[in-house]
Amino acid sequence: MKKSGFEPKILAFCCNWCSYAGADLAGTSRIQYAPNVRVIRVMCSGRIDPTFILRAFQVGVDGVLILGCHPGDCHYIDGNYKTARRIHMLKKMLSQLGIEDDRLRLDWVSAAEGKRFASIINDMTERIRALGPFVR
Amino acid sequence: MSDVRIGVFICHCGKNIAGVINVPEVTEYAKTLPNVVYAEHNLFTCSADGLSSITRKIGEYKLSRVIVAACTPRTHEPLFRTACEAAGLNKYLFEFVNIRDQCSWVHMQEPEKATGKAKDLVRMGIAKARLLEPLEDVEIGVTPACLVIGGGVAGMSAALNLANQGFEIYLVERDKELGGLLLNLNRLFTSDSKAEEVIVPLTEKVKNHQNIKVHTSTEVKGVAGFIGNFDVTLDQKGEEKKIKVGTIIVATGAEVLKPVDQYGYGDKSNVITQLELEERLNNGVGDEQNIVMINCVGARIPERQYCSRICCMVAIKNAVLIKENDPRAKVWVLHRDLMTYGTEFEKYYQKAMEKGVRFIRYSLDKLPEIVGNNKVKAVKVYHQLMGKEIVLPCDMLVLTTPLIPHEDNQDISRMLRVSLGEHGFFLEAHLKLQPVEFATDSIYVCGCARWPASVPETISQAYAASAKAAIPLRRGYIRSEGITASVDEDKCSGCGICVLLCPYNAIESQSKDGKKLAHITTAQCKGCGTCGAACPSGAISMNHFRDEEILAQVEALVI
Amino acid sequence: MAKLKLACYWAASCGGCDVAILDLNERILQVADLADIVFWPIAVDFKHHDVEAMPDKSIDFCLFNGAVRNSEQEEIARLLRDKSKIMVAFGSCAHLGGIPGLANFGNRTQIFERLYLEAQSNDNLDKTIPQTSSKVSEGELELPEFYDTVKALNQVVEVDYYVPGCPPPVPIISKVIDAIASQKLPPKGSVFASDKSLCDECPRTKGEKRIKKLYRPHEIIPNPEQCLLEQGILCMGPATRGGCGALCIKANMPCRGCFGPLPSVSDQGAKMLSALASIYDIDIKDEVAMAQMVEEVVDIAGSFYRFCLPTALINRRRM
Repeated sequence: MKKSGFEPKILAFCCNWCSYAGADLAGTSRIQYAPNVRVIRVMCSGRIDPTFILRAFQVGVDGVLILGCHPGDCHYIDGNYKTARRIHMLKKMLSQLGIEDDRLRLDWVSAAEGKRFASIINDMTERIRALGPFVR
Repeated sequence: MSDVRIGVFICHCGKNIAGVINVPEVTEYAKTLPNVVYAEHNLFTCSADGLSSITRKIGEYKLSRVIVAACTPRTHEPLFRTACEAAGLNKYLFEFVNIRDQCSWVHMQEPEKATGKAKDLVRMGIAKARLLEPLEDVEIGVTPACLVIGGGVAGMSAALNLANQGFEIYLVERDKELGGLLLNLNRLFTSDSKAEEVIVPLTEKVKNHQNIKVHTSTEVKGVAGFIGNFDVTLDQKGEEKKIKVGTIIVATGAEVLKPVDQYGYGDKSNVITQLELEERLNNGVGDEQNIVMINCVGARIPERQYCSRICCMVAIKNAVLIKENDPRAKVWVLHRDLMTYGTEFEKYYQKAMEKGVRFIRYSLDKLPEIVGNNKVKAVKVYHQLMGKEIVLPCDMLVLTTPLIPHEDNQDISRMLRVSLGEHGFFLEAHLKLQPVEFATDSIYVCGCARWPASVPETISQAYAASAKAAIPLRRGYIRSEGITASVDEDKCSGCGICVLLCPYNAIESQSKDGKKLAHITTAQCKGCGTCGAACPSGAISMNHFRDEEILAQVEALVI
Repeated sequence: MAKLKLACYWAASCGGCDVAILDLNERILQVADLADIVFWPIAVDFKHHDVEAMPDKSIDFCLFNGAVRNSEQEEIARLLRDKSKIMVAFGSCAHLGGIPGLANFGNRTQIFERLYLEAQSNDNLDKTIPQTSSKVSEGELELPEFYDTVKALNQVVEVDYYVPGCPPPVPIISKVIDAIASQKLPPKGSVFASDKSLCDECPRTKGEKRIKKLYRPHEIIPNPEQCLLEQGILCMGPATRGGCGALCIKANMPCRGCFGPLPSVSDQGAKMLSALASIYDIDIKDEVAMAQMVEEVVDIAGSFYRFCLPTALINRRRM
């Protein structure tokens, strides 16, 4: 089914030390990407309580992106490890609630990966566009 | 909450933001939002005018929260926080909205959507600001000692600079001698002075300095603790030693790429790198009559796109030395552009040409070819200006290769929790504004560990890094942000789930009146938020990133 | 003092909450002294039209148990709300949605198909499915509309107090009676339970919260002194209000979460998931271990939302 005209609303949680810096680098490098993402800055991806993600879906956000430091590189040593386990379990729970897997994505972006940040945003935007709006 | 008074300051940043985003429209929009009692836009909010406007308006409009929508908090948050403090407003009642690095700069072809996004982001920032509470910074004492990792010209210059100021320095070098790359060099451009004239006196001063403890044949094995209070484990050939330091300078340098299997390197006996040529020249110039140098071998290629900055000068310097020794010798430098920046380098290049060094430009799509079996006898190169292939006789082929990061940069990066850049060198906090610091407080970087640098550049950086490192050492404390966790004892059931989650062991289970409660040592808390996210009672609050503040941002996304 | 007027009602429930009131044993006589029961379908014979005839706010207390999952239950909930001064959500189903709330993993179509068509013990060759309106020999039969989504009481009417539990333990029911009798009621919206999690009153010892594997309760014989979660048995205690006296724990069974989330928590399941995944000591790069972690909880959404799915942030499955 063609879902033309639908502009996904995507929320991205970015950690201050890696992914937020990577996002800034995309900016200083003037790498252009889809304007559908709104970033909420946290100090570490380990701050992300699954409650935030569920609340985001509840209020009608179409997709949620969690971006942290690569495993082993977390500024707070292993915050991203807890995030990885939480999101892995949360994804299973979301599938039980009938929420498509692509709507929640966990990925790793370093402070030097401006290009990677942009390509993840573009990819996420297209995947959510294909899925259509989140049904509240 | 109805008495919160929010002021919004939206920056044009010249044309950087205003060229894409309709800043006046966003400002008008901000005025419509609840609790916003004042909004203005500025050409450069970070200018003296912009900053004083913030300070003034806080007083005039009795603002209790301030939002600046501009570049990125990672560079300018401290500046605007200071402007708030100047008006007597607690700096944690300030919120930064990023509408440049993450908006105008990345949606340049979609100004309407960028403006819409800016409005959303401002609305989200205001939603959080409404709930912000004042906080106090935490002062952490700094161990009055510095660890310098790397005993080359960078590490030694930094160590001396600090030691001369009276600080205690541990200088750790993994080789058995101090000196680093300079030990293998012959002469330095552009003075042509002997490398040993620089490195030997430096080494002597370091060895004899009472404030510097030198550890050679030693590696850093582990780093525990936190900023200003590092517990470092050193490993000297299996023997461990523990030291305590307050600041760390990374001066581990780089290594020269060995271009295995390129142009016969490793196979033919007369193909060497510039570094190997330096070692030979140290023992006197040989009698080869036809020397061909190929620049940019392994650099500025798809697999390694960067330019290593110093190698053109190295090649030219060696070419000049060979010519000065024997003007009849023929030296060709095959290059893909010459990096001879500044007046001194350009002059040196002129000198080389006057001495008869021949420069031939080649291109990536027509690489030079070697001719010969056990040795290289000739080099074929397509001369771009002449428009034809020529054959150069060759007794010695010198390959100019880039400096590449050490493989164990990964280990150090992990041990210290500092970032590596895309090419594997260490990544500074900000290329322009914080060139010798890491994003992590109290750790600094200088020299080729950060980016290929000449000797004068390396020494300047070493002085800069050591000057920065001296600040917390001299002050005796680091001010750590009040972004920490706190436990509400009325809500904590003592379940203990948080205790082992803390990477800094800042949480312990304490008994109070027969009941267990979590207790967080604030000075050790770095505010990562892992405990707060896990607490199943919601008893842990993350200052400045509380659940309600983040949820308010989430909810404001969709209005 | 005039006798208080008390109403009790059961919506989508198992009947256990009504039995729990009777479990007051002799204290039930005190209730009889204290109040006239003006409506209690399971126990006395008053009809809906008796309630309809009452003046608004003439019932002093209504103890409403059960979730709301059909139009009749919703209608009576609204009716009782109009007629009652104080509306109490009694038991997990009224408080949070309860076990019936797990129907939110499906919808009416799925439930009816299973119940009336597929169930192996059916004898329904005509494939009859209940309709809201159908012709029978006596005339037109109207049945309540069966909703796709189960709701907690406060998602239908305004609720004044919550008495948690599946069922509420007798000591808590006693407390409620005391509060009613003495007219010393807590602030509106209060839950008659502790504001701290079950761990606060759990008698087991707490050590290091780190697990490598989860077991189902029948798979191991747990040490009776040590925290169950630390031994790898999924206990919802950390994410569940206390005040029940840790009855299940004392019977060597893990808490299942019937008292619902703590006051500062908006989603019990999300918090339990966060806590559990955080203490699961496995290597995130080990794909096998990660897959196993998810399998070991067996039914993540069902376990974490066993009693509270209708009041969770995502309160039903998207079909």
